[in-house]
Amino acid sequence: MTENPARESRLLRGVHRTVTGLHPALESIVAAIVGLLIGAVLMYIWGFDPWKAYWALLRGAYGGSYEWASSLARATPLILTALTFSICVRAGMFNIGAEGQMMMGAMAAVCVALFAAPTVLHLIIGLVFAAVAGALWSVVPAILKVSRGVSEVISTIMFNWIGRWLALYLAIYVIVDRMRPEKTLTVPVTARFPILVRGTDLSASIFLAVGVALVMYFLLWHTTMGYEVRAAGLNPTAARYGGIRSKRTMIISFLLGGITAGLAGATIAMGLPPSYAIFGGGAFPELTNLGFDGMAVAMVGRNHPIGILVAALFFGGLNAGGRVMQFYGSNPVPLEMIRVVMGAIVLAMAIPELIRLFPAIKNQGERFFAVLRRRRETRSKEGKA
Amino acid sequence: MELEGADTGIPGGTKEFKEVALKRLLAVTLMLILGVSLLGMAAGKVAVVLDVGGRGDLSFNDMGFKGTDQAAKDFGLQMIEVQCATGADYLPNIRNVARTGDYDLIICVGFLLGDALAAASTEFPNQKFAIIDVDYITGPNIMNFVFRENEQSALVGALAGMSAAYHGYSAAGVVLGIEIPVLWHFEAGFRYGMDWGLKAFAKHEGKAPSVNLLYTYTGTFSDIALGKAASEAMLAQGAVGVYNVAGPLGVGDHEAVAEAHGNLGTLYGPPYFYGVDANQDFIGNGFHGIASGMKRVDTACYMAVEAVVKGQFKAGVTSLGLKEGGVAISKVGDLADFILFGISGGSVSADDFYTIIANWAQNRSTIPGWIWDAVDTLEAGILDGSIVVPTASTGDQIAAVRAQYTLGAP
Repeated sequence: MTENPARESRLLRGVHRTVTGLHPALESIVAAIVGLLIGAVLMYIWGFDPWKAYWALLRGAYGGSYEWASSLARATPLILTALTFSICVRAGMFNIGAEGQMMMGAMAAVCVALFAAPTVLHLIIGLVFAAVAGALWSVVPAILKVSRGVSEVISTIMFNWIGRWLALYLAIYVIVDRMRPEKTLTVPVTARFPILVRGTDLSASIFLAVGVALVMYFLLWHTTMGYEVRAAGLNPTAARYGGIRSKRTMIISFLLGGITAGLAGATIAMGLPPSYAIFGGGAFPELTNLGFDGMAVAMVGRNHPIGILVAALFFGGLNAGGRVMQFYGSNPVPLEMIRVVMGAIVLAMAIPELIRLFPAIKNQGERFFAVLRRRRETRSKEGKA
Repeated sequence: MELEGADTGIPGGTKEFKEVALKRLLAVTLMLILGVSLLGMAAGKVAVVLDVGGRGDLSFNDMGFKGTDQAAKDFGLQMIEVQCATGADYLPNIRNVARTGDYDLIICVGFLLGDALAAASTEFPNQKFAIIDVDYITGPNIMNFVFRENEQSALVGALAGMSAAYHGYSAAGVVLGIEIPVLWHFEAGFRYGMDWGLKAFAKHEGKAPSVNLLYTYTGTFSDIALGKAASEAMLAQGAVGVYNVAGPLGVGDHEAVAEAHGNLGTLYGPPYFYGVDANQDFIGNGFHGIASGMKRVDTACYMAVEAVVKGQFKAGVTSLGLKEGGVAISKVGDLADFILFGISGGSVSADDFYTIIANWAQNRSTIPGWIWDAVDTLEAGILDGSIVVPTASTGDQIAAVRAQYTLGAP
């Protein structure tokens, strides 16, 4: 396509080396500063005082114990959905399906409202439900990929939509609260995560999220299975030559991803005050976009479980502090502007990892277009025949 | 004043004395400024918290903002709006505002905020709250505002029933959202009104018309395509128009009506579009929107602020109907208001102001004056209490209303 592919790839490699040559932590900090500067310029142009706004953001995010608790509460589901994306990236695949898997997990967790059980057991049953539902929703695209070579990007995006509508159907018609039909049944007290800091949203679900992240770190870096997953991600051909069953690693990474996404849904249904239920009427106002936000968290966290913990704390802070920017002192910034600024910061911070992932993304795209081209060729041949 | 005081405060001419005096002068001025700004703060602040729908809907949320903003201007208060990006923001946003302790009143617009406010109101017993469309939050610091939507819907129902009979259509349609109790108020009122209208028509024309009610609960407040599909089905079954009882779905309903006109090659007359909540008559440049059953969220917000300012804050449930100006059927004055509202929101061009009113008036003239008079009679009856429109808040009650006013259903 391009006139000089050698020159293009040299340029790309140069950019790649400059960006990735920095220490990852330094790189993230530079990216964050660039993002904040872009946000500041945007706010300045539209007549808001960036200093006051950022001061509000900082204070709202980390200004005290209440603020820390709020930030951690918002970080909890993001840790889990970020793990979904990053495990599959480590295995060399793009799992865009966290959103749908999380919604199925949330619906499964709500089902604990249908029966009674003792306190801790009830909670554990709900988590198992959510994990199984997330895993089931994730394993179908994995099987399609392994058996038929269906691109997981396409299939997981499609499964997001199927999952969303199925979950909405369940929320509106099946596990609906008959007295308040705009929401699902309420998760009973016996199956809720206890609140850690009174007067905030922070519940014990944060321990679940951090625990899962640590387990994933251990699995990926300290077990044979994890080694195989990462090896298959780094170079599938070499891994297969080395005796690693790539189909098995694909299925495993998707299953693990589905489990974490399902648990993310459970942390909302069972750990988010005050409703402990999912609102179908507003089309899932608590759940929507957590799966996609998780992808940004994963990229900023360099697809490493420990990095994700740090990145999620940063994102949780952006969320919690961003709220405060709306009514801080004499410089209220409207929510729309706050979202623009957040978008600029997130984009700037994701760019280094995006560039690193670029070869893989490019491969995916080329494979996809190759399939299209082949199909067109066969069709034109058929036409001639 | 301070200058004179400062002058007399300097006995000698030495440098130190002058400095001391200068410092005093500074202190006095600072205190004065502080005093003035404190006075300014004492004038009070109100906050309005919106649900995920957010601003820009030209309906529920924008009206909540408009009413609070107007009240803040009239009573010289400072006002802030807090929007929620996700459902997880409801409780933290209310808490964040209440924690400052600076706000005389926090208004929560919409039933989605109900759970969050119920939790926050017990955490902040000294903070005054108001909430729209919720009637179950008890507590000495909360005003609950609900509307008697059955009254506005009765007026729309009467108009729809009579216009169907007049134009020889066999049905009138209602497209509703999720089947929640609030929507039963609408359905019950519409049934009563339609029945009333058909009786009035029979009395005027001397023969009983045969007009059925078509209604669908679409199960959504956000999927505009479903609203359009439901409307198309009703129009295909001979409906004279559709009454939108699902907020944003009205856009889809209106589209279906406009397409039906496109097929007929007409611009005015049936089928009609009946709007809800806001005055939606201006949708689509005033074509096809004949009347709206308005639910004045702005009035409720204004009343809440007024009550706090005048020290008449009254915890509990306040019900707003026709009498209190909380609900209404749209008239020409409201239309002008709402077109200006649309212009300020950027969804209507200022040049179209007169075009919209002209289109709307032309459309309204396709219904004879005596029908409009009959609607006014019903309104007067409800206002003076001689007519009581039934309502329904439970499944049993709506079943009873459906059984009493079958409107063509077997």
